Amino acid sequence: MSYDLPDTPEGDRPASKHSIVFDRERCVGCVECCKACPTGAIRVRGGCAVADPELCIDCGECIRWCRHGAMHAATATSADLRRFKYTVALPSLTLYSQFGRDVEPAQVLRALRTLGFDDVYDLSAMCDMHASATDAYLSECRGPWPKISVTCPAVIHLIQLRYPDMIENLLPIETARELAAKLLRRRLVAEKGLDPGDIGIFFITPCSAMLQSIHYPEALEASYLDGGFSISEFYGPLLRAIKAHGPVDNPPPISERGLLWAMAGGEIAGLRNANTMTVAGVRDVLRVFDHIEEGKLQAVDFIEAYICPDGCISGQLTVENRYAARRTVQQIVRRHGRRAGEGAVVPEEKVRAMLREHFFDLEEHLKARPVRPLGRSLREAAARKREEERVLADLPARNCAACGAPSCAAHAEDVARGQAALDDCVFVRIKRLEEELASTKESTHE
Amino acid sequence: MATRIKSICKELGIRPDLIRRLSIANFEAEMNVIMYADQADLSFVVLPEAVRVVVADRGPGIPDIELAMTPGWSTATPEMRARGFGAGLGLPNIKKSADEFLVESTPGVGTTLTYVIRLA
Repeated sequence: MSYDLPDTPEGDRPASKHSIVFDRERCVGCVECCKACPTGAIRVRGGCAVADPELCIDCGECIRWCRHGAMHAATATSADLRRFKYTVALPSLTLYSQFGRDVEPAQVLRALRTLGFDDVYDLSAMCDMHASATDAYLSECRGPWPKISVTCPAVIHLIQLRYPDMIENLLPIETARELAAKLLRRRLVAEKGLDPGDIGIFFITPCSAMLQSIHYPEALEASYLDGGFSISEFYGPLLRAIKAHGPVDNPPPISERGLLWAMAGGEIAGLRNANTMTVAGVRDVLRVFDHIEEGKLQAVDFIEAYICPDGCISGQLTVENRYAARRTVQQIVRRHGRRAGEGAVVPEEKVRAMLREHFFDLEEHLKARPVRPLGRSLREAAARKREEERVLADLPARNCAACGAPSCAAHAEDVARGQAALDDCVFVRIKRLEEELASTKESTHE
Repeated sequence: MATRIKSICKELGIRPDLIRRLSIANFEAEMNVIMYADQADLSFVVLPEAVRVVVADRGPGIPDIELAMTPGWSTATPEMRARGFGAGLGLPNIKKSADEFLVESTPGVGTTLTYVIRLA
């Protein structure tokens, strides 16, 4: 089997357990990524951005903000595909939004086949079932409230890292993409008599976080997916294939409820429970999570949260701008989705039965990801905290990041930890030079 | 303040369950200051075996401390109750969350709450 795929950049591998590769050749040492990183994981050292693997949540904000293409996601290669006898492409619903409003999902799926996949699978039906399962779960759940969606892996990582008290708030239902791969593999084994190990299911991802979750899943021992390609690397070949083949006769039905999942607000749009909320974008997610941590949003049942500003259609590995992508999704839905009230693809009773049989359950408990404290002992940590506050008072509060840390507070912490010098700050250095100059002048006058 | 202390504790590497108890106490103390006093000083001390918080307000003071410690007893106005406060659980909650708790009060001068959470 040959695959008509673009070459993925080889070279550096990402840091252990992560999906983002930093390219030292392309990095110019500006501080865009460093300032954009929601967990303050990036520093510019020796003229190059470096990420602390302990703090990185694979959200891909660095990829989004870098103007020099110095970060990329370590996606799969054709060699990965050749390891399997039977390959399946499972595209994120976002893929349907990338080619304009006139291109049908069925055309996109057919184009994927022409790239060399043996089979393709539409995720909208599983998202539809997921919505029913979420409703059923919420109706029987006893808290803690609000429950938070686990669709965005960067959100899970952020909670594990910064909000460990909120792990119990995460909805304990596996993601639609993993459930789809689980079901699909079972079906292929049963229907085609394939060996489970010969089937390779590849996710076409809008973001680095979902890619990372395939290789290092949080709530599974091993992912049901075998790898991931980015929407952006498939875009060119798919566009050519779509243009070459024209419309598809009798396209198979797709679920409106499912399709909407590509964008922020889509997950709750399909729920019967209306006591819900959507939050998207790094800063707003942090703000809302601070509120949840303070116990302020307990009256809300369910929150759909995305690190990207408009959900998956705004993932950093997509091509189409997110406003155009949103319009495309809405047009596809209007054109041939099910109308509201027409009911779910799979009857809710069946989904409830599957929920009772634990089909939707997370397989493993989500755990907190503790970050190294300021010091080895409380005494050392407290001393460093005092040092940090003393250093911060000497810094200009401009948050210019010229020192290589994203803010004066971050630089103060680096200094207290012994990882940076106070006079890496240009303002401190100028002040010192001025003082030295003044004192030499004084001594020459004497 | 409760939020700031929480973030400092996280940085220092204090155990999450202890931070949670401390945060409950801090939150209740903070609400008492907001509802009854105009001003207060809060000191937060980290010792090797414990953390200690002292909240000294310049408010009306508590005439009968024993009564104020009774769960359900409250002097909250209907307006405070309408916002979900004033259930009479503030001081009892601090007592429940902390390992040591002391209330000193002089009517007309102010109230000082001292509470300690042991780290070991």
